[in-house]
Order: sequence, then structure tokens, then C-alpha cells
Amino acid sequence: MTTTPTEAPRTGRTPGPRMLRGLSWLVVRQHRAALLSLLAVTVLGSIWIVYERSRMKDFLDAAGWPGKELTQPTYDGGGAGLVMAALGGLPLILAVFVGAPLIAGDQEQGTAQLVTTQSVSRLRWVATKFAWIYGAVLVTAAVLSALFTWWWKPYRSVFSSSWSDGSVFDSTGPMLPALCLFLTAAGITIGVLARRTLMSMAITFIFAAAVGVFWSEMIAHLAPTRTITYPLEADMPSRLNESLEVDRWIGSADGHLYGWGLCAEQTEAASDACVKEHGIVNNVYEYLGVDQMPAMQWTGAGILLAGTAVLTAFVLWRVSRRPL
Amino acid sequence: MADAFTPDGASGAWALEALGLGKRYGRGWALQDISFRLPAGRICGLVGPNGAGKSTLLGIATRQVQPTEGGLRVFGVPVDDPEVMPRFAFLGQDKPLFKRFTVAETLRMGAELNPGWDMAAAERIVRSGQVPMDARVGTLSGGQRTRVAFALAFGKRPDLLLLDEPMSDLDPLARHDMSTLLMSEAVERGTTVLMSSHMLTELEDMCDYLLVLAGGRIRMAGDADALLPAHALVTGLAPGGDPAAALAPHTVVEYRVQGRQFHALVRTNGPLSGDWVVSEPSLEEVLLAHLRSPDVPPLFTPGARTEAEGSHTS
Repeated sequence: MTTTPTEAPRTGRTPGPRMLRGLSWLVVRQHRAALLSLLAVTVLGSIWIVYERSRMKDFLDAAGWPGKELTQPTYDGGGAGLVMAALGGLPLILAVFVGAPLIAGDQEQGTAQLVTTQSVSRLRWVATKFAWIYGAVLVTAAVLSALFTWWWKPYRSVFSSSWSDGSVFDSTGPMLPALCLFLTAAGITIGVLARRTLMSMAITFIFAAAVGVFWSEMIAHLAPTRTITYPLEADMPSRLNESLEVDRWIGSADGHLYGWGLCAEQTEAASDACVKEHGIVNNVYEYLGVDQMPAMQWTGAGILLAGTAVLTAFVLWRVSRRPL
Repeated sequence: MADAFTPDGASGAWALEALGLGKRYGRGWALQDISFRLPAGRICGLVGPNGAGKSTLLGIATRQVQPTEGGLRVFGVPVDDPEVMPRFAFLGQDKPLFKRFTVAETLRMGAELNPGWDMAAAERIVRSGQVPMDARVGTLSGGQRTRVAFALAFGKRPDLLLLDEPMSDLDPLARHDMSTLLMSEAVERGTTVLMSSHMLTELEDMCDYLLVLAGGRIRMAGDADALLPAHALVTGLAPGGDPAAALAPHTVVEYRVQGRQFHALVRTNGPLSGDWVVSEPSLEEVLLAHLRSPDVPPLFTPGARTEAEGSHTS
């Protein structure tokens, strides 16, 4: 093709500028509604988080926090809980409504046949879909996670959920993007295998719910725990207030550990006798500190992103090997 | 265009070339031992009862179905090579299109995904049917949607057009329009067409090549002009009740005895001698007789059978 100065007007036949070409145009046009929805979720969600943060700030300023203690230990007013519930539900919603129908819809409607009998290979088509949907999911989740983290960090002591709760842990830092990507990938994979939109959405819903239950158990295993020993009669050191308790024992001077409930007797005399009998002098506390949170989040995100990569590679391999 | 009977060695002369093709679904074979050649430039009818394997064969040719055994070449290129993709266009039974796309967007998809796209041809096909370009595909009538699907197929400028019962859901008027469109576009560009259909009359008018399938196997393949004269309708007296012995060495495809008289459709092998009334059968009679008689050995006209094997030829 020769380049001439008069080449530009040739594109004037199609209305609007042709910003996208080839498969990208097709994928964006086909999934226009889903992509616009993600954009809307990003914009409206951001505005909501900024608004709720300023409401919380106003309330705390009026109460004189942090100079004065709050009348209630936590701030439950406004939509803080609602925001956290929405962010917690986001990965599941993306998996069910964006991931599952992404390719299953084409298989069910026959449009997979339409596209794959043009002059582009199945692999390129599916890879383009992945690129656009992952990109959109990543932007949405990253923006919302960044804003929520910006809200939560300075005010974390007044949130009703602790840092190790799924509602905070999974919605801040790299965790929200990683969870969204992983579950979207799972939805796409289930869709490709089930080949039916509704069925794959239902299976994805169950799968995502199961992952949620499993993941809340996983959080405590994302970093090595620490153990601290302090005298039996003493209070727990205050720097551990925010820590996540993993386990707790009582121990004798020679380092022998007993279960927490060993000396929980009916009368105080009996308890004291038990303590004396076993020579128990210490509390032993196994925990995860709040300072471990970023490391735990990055470890968790790494696991989920590796899972995303495995699922994506599987779908691409399968699509390149056999017809949809 | 290449002559059907003089393969010049260049495999590009064959639009389709199947060798030992088979497809197994679960326990049963949908297609088995399919070997045939379709010369470039022909309009070929793919005939057979429901479940004969027509859609499976078209699915393999369009890369929608993976064969269990054997191979298929499109203009000499193995069908699993992505290089074949720009060379064929496919119109499926239910003509899937994106329902939320407008007609213009559907054609733009063709332009975006096909290197040799001919927008003028595609727009001409759509416009000649008075289909509004800005209408959503989901709001079009069946005939209009078929026209858009045709435009998408022809805009691709394919060398081979594969159609799976393209007219089955059209009213007679739309069917006539589409047939005319198909024939004029295909003839103008020398496109090879492989078209499955139930409508025998449709095939008789349009096709100069035939591929007859039944039970997943080939019953007949070859030039329509050569297949028909290879048969004769014979009426005569059958004293013994079984005319097969009397008709040797001809192959009896089907016969019916009424009293002392028999009617038989035979595949002639030399001149018919005997005190019989001989007439030429119609295409429909030949097709129906073959579809009803699965035990008769398949018939290939010269060149229609893939070389390098042929042990099953009678």
C-alpha cells in the first residue's frame, strides 16, 4: 500500500473514528454492555467510597477523634458496612455475569461458529476476549481497591471489621484485583466447559461461593505465625491488640504447653490448684500481626494470580486444540 | 476452471479432497470411510436423509468438528491448517449472527476479520434485498437475515462456499431470490459451492455435481451428468419373481415386482439386451432408490474418488 496525503478521508465512510480494529473492535462491540457496566461500577463505586469516607471523617472530626475516645468503640453509621459487602460481592458478581457468559454465550448462540469461520483463528479470538475482559476487570478492581484502602488505612481502628476479616483483607491492597481476576477466569473456564450460559452461571456461582468459604480459612495460613510468651497474671501487651489470634496456650516454666482450657474449673480454688499442680506460669499467644498484612495480601494475590494464569492457559490450550 | 476428469497433479484443482475421513460420536460413527474429490468450480449438492452425516461433513470442512480419522484438504491445504480459513465461507443451518449488531456492524465485522473483504459486494447483496443497513439483526425477518448471512459469506470472497440447508427456513419467494443470488454470485466468481439440501428439485436445478450420503457413508459421488445416464429404469417380465439374475451383469439398485411384471432401477454395465422397456430415470428416482438400498455398492464417476485407495470400489 502506498501512503498518500489524501489517505485520511478514506475512513470517512464509517461513522465515527475507527479507534479499534479487527478482533478488538469485535470484542468491544459484542461486550459493549458488559464493559460499560464495569466502567459505571468503577465510576459510581469510586464516588460512593469517597462520599462514605468523607461522611466518616466528618463524624469523627465532630466527635473529636482521635483525641477523644468514641462513645462506641467502632463507627457503624453510614454505608461502611454496605461498601464492604459490595466489594466482597464484586468478585462473585464479575465471575457469574461477566466471566461465565463470555464464551459460553457464543457457544450457545452459535456466534462462536460465526466468528471462527471468518479468517481469524479461535485462539486469537479467545485471547483477545481475555485481554479486554481481564483489562476491564483489573481496572475496576484496582481503582475500587485503591480507594477503599485509602479510606480504610487511617481509620482502621474504628472499622467494625478487623484487618484479618475477609471484608477488609479481601477488599484492600492487591487482594481485590486478584480475587476478581481469579474468579472471572474460573467463570470463563466453567463456561467453556459447560457450553451453556445459564448452567455455567449457576456452576460459577456455587464455585465462587465455595472459594469464598475456603479462602476465609486460608487467610491465617498466608504468613508464618509469631508466638509471644508473657506472665500468666499479666495483661496481653497492648501492641497485640490488633493482631489475629491463631492459637493460645498456657505454659509451665520449663516450656511445656497446655491447652487454654486445661484449668478452667468450676471454682477458683480448683483452678488455682490445677495451675499449681502443672506449674503453669505463662500465657503463650500465637498470632499474626497487623504489620504482616501486606505480605499476606501479596502472598494471597500471588496464589490467586497463579491460579488465574493456570486457568487462562488451560482455556487457550483447549481452544487451540479443539473446536469450541 | 479445472476439468473434472483430468487431474493435473496440482491438488489445488480439487476444492475438497477427503481421504478415509471418519467421525465418531460416543459409540456410533457419524461418518465413516469418506473418500471423495470435489473439483474446483462446481456446484455440488450434498444429499442424504436426516442423520446421514451431511452436517458433520460440513462441520469438518469448516473446522467446527474434528475428524476422528482420515483427512480433508481444502484446495490442497489440510483443513486443520489456519491457512484454509480465508478460502472458504460457511452458512450454517441456523445462520447465527450477533442479534444486537446492526446490519452495517455485521458487515463491518466481516471487514475487520477477513483480509480479502469486498464491502461493495456485501453491500450490494444487502441493498438489493431492501434490508436497512441500520436495522438490528434481531429485528429482521428470516429472509432478510439469510440475505445478511449471504452477504457476509460472499463479502469474504471465498473460493469455496459451504452451505448447510441454506433455504430450509425460507418461504418459496425468498428461496427463489436466494437461489438466484447464490447462482449468479457463484457463477460470476467461479466459486465452488457445496450445499446440503433436502429439496431434490432445488438440487436438480442448481447442481452439476452430487455427493450422496446415507448412514455416514458415501452412496454416490460425481458429475450429475454422468451419474444419471449410468442408470436405467427397466420394466419387463420376471418369470421367476427375481429379476436380478435376468438383469446380470447390471447392478440392480432397487426393484419392485407386480404380478409377472417387474420394475427395476439398474446401474447399467454395457448395453441392456432383452425384451424390456427401458427408460431414463429422473434424478429424484435415482437418489431415492440409492437412499432406500444401503447395500448397493457406492458409485463414483471418474475422478470423484480419491486416489491412493480404491479397494472398496465395485
